[in-house]
Amino acid sequence: MKLLVCLKQVPDSTVRVKVGADGRSIATDGIAWAISPYDEYALELALEHKDGDPSVTVSAVSVGPARARDALRAALAMGCDDATFVTGAGAEGLGGLATARVLAKVVAEAAPDVVLCGRQASDDDQGFVGPALAEVLGWPHVSTATKLAVAGDALEVWKEVEGGHEVWTAPRPVVLTVQKSEKEPRYPSLPGIMKAKRKEIPEKDAATLAADLSSPAMEVSSLEPPAARGGGKILRDGDTAALAEELVGLLRREAKVL
Amino acid sequence: MKIWIIVERSGPELRRVSRELAAKAAEMGEATALEVTGLERYSALPAVAALTEKAKSGAPDLVLVGATPMGRDLGARLAARLEWAYAADCTGVAPEAGAVVVTRGMYADKVRAEVRVGLPAVVTVRANAFALAEGAQPPEVAPVPADPSVDTLAFARFEPTASTGAKVPLAEARVVVSGGRGLRGPENWHLVEELADSLGAGLGASRAVTDAGWRPNEEQVGQTGKSVAPDLYIAVGISGAIQHLAGMTSSRTIVAINRDPDADIFKVCDYGVVADALQFIPAFTAAVKKAKASA
Repeated sequence: MKLLVCLKQVPDSTVRVKVGADGRSIATDGIAWAISPYDEYALELALEHKDGDPSVTVSAVSVGPARARDALRAALAMGCDDATFVTGAGAEGLGGLATARVLAKVVAEAAPDVVLCGRQASDDDQGFVGPALAEVLGWPHVSTATKLAVAGDALEVWKEVEGGHEVWTAPRPVVLTVQKSEKEPRYPSLPGIMKAKRKEIPEKDAATLAADLSSPAMEVSSLEPPAARGGGKILRDGDTAALAEELVGLLRREAKVL
Repeated sequence: MKIWIIVERSGPELRRVSRELAAKAAEMGEATALEVTGLERYSALPAVAALTEKAKSGAPDLVLVGATPMGRDLGARLAARLEWAYAADCTGVAPEAGAVVVTRGMYADKVRAEVRVGLPAVVTVRANAFALAEGAQPPEVAPVPADPSVDTLAFARFEPTASTGAKVPLAEARVVVSGGRGLRGPENWHLVEELADSLGAGLGASRAVTDAGWRPNEEQVGQTGKSVAPDLYIAVGISGAIQHLAGMTSSRTIVAINRDPDADIFKVCDYGVVADALQFIPAFTAAVKKAKASA
């Protein structure tokens, strides 16, 4: 079985995101980049299958600017067999639909049984590229997947919904968008890191993939930090019951939320 | 502007977010509420096929869907099929010439963006983004029969999460009570549940707690979990990691209960109580019940 994981490099989740000078993008000077968290869950879901069955191959692909190569290097260090990097001027600032079309070209060449994407990238948080990739390919997709099992020629996919999981039988090929699951993404091992350093990451120029790079009109007009908070009333030092009464009184009379 | 709202039900009732969207759409233009019917379980392909067919003749400018698990799945695939613009998980939608300007969180809700989205477009909207007047009548809903013949996926079975304990869905709750490591163990969660029950609240949890397996993942608030913006958010025994704060700082009123006076959660709260959660919550629950009884 061939698995292909699509991943995106985003600001690390511990970064305090600040708005840039243009007011429409974030300040990227000196920030740490990482594989988007849900894409790491997608990698883990794929690599788990490889752990149990060495005939399984796991490939990674990313579309992005030059720095995003590091994300693929990290995916190789986690245990991916190979990686493809789509970059060049054409790969920057792509809309969601164009990204899906570019990825579809790579998928068509790799011909995997399953494509896994994170449920959303934690930069634009759209959750669009996975389902759009399935649409461009003409494949079905299952979103918020947390588990994958082989069932003969078909697959069983666990989809997180409110109150539990729906288990769906899916044909191959299929696109999954992966939700956080109990299984935390593995850390790269030292031998994994050494091996990854020696691996070639073939590059493709987005502009030469014969994909339509246009997307429907959409433009961020402004970015703002969340409304400043603070200066809250802090209650302490007192009898627990009295503090509780005081808090309830404030929520009723001042905040008017009870 | 011609607006479609794709509604969703929770049991026989329309979901609150669907009603919020219908009310908002009626203010913005000519609104039609549609429901995909004939599927025992929602599945993207049959729903998208039916809606695409209907969109050919109906030609809406804007399709609004609740940013629920179903809505985000359907909205993305429908927009891709139609090759329309798509904006997910929005908290505001304002019409403009030939476009809508949506408000939405980016970078795991660490920043708020205004995005100009060209029409036609599909937009998914978070619950609690628009007010719903008391006693507002639910919209009339027209059925759109799904086309199950196009599905290549087959539903096999449902596996419920063991005792989620939540009586109010987290994403739509007007009040949320979230617990963290300060509860010291899953055996103390009944305290959080009792407080939530007294308030009619949804249940949330910090990542530390879901990672430890004390609570199911679906209750996690923050990055890699849910973003919520209720009227009242009560964080119990949660220190306030940046990833958690991103998912709840848009709440109207925030209450923090933590025994560490230096916890980051106190920097974003409106009311903080420096106290041990295990001792404070029972007293708080009792005070809430007493206040509600006298109301």
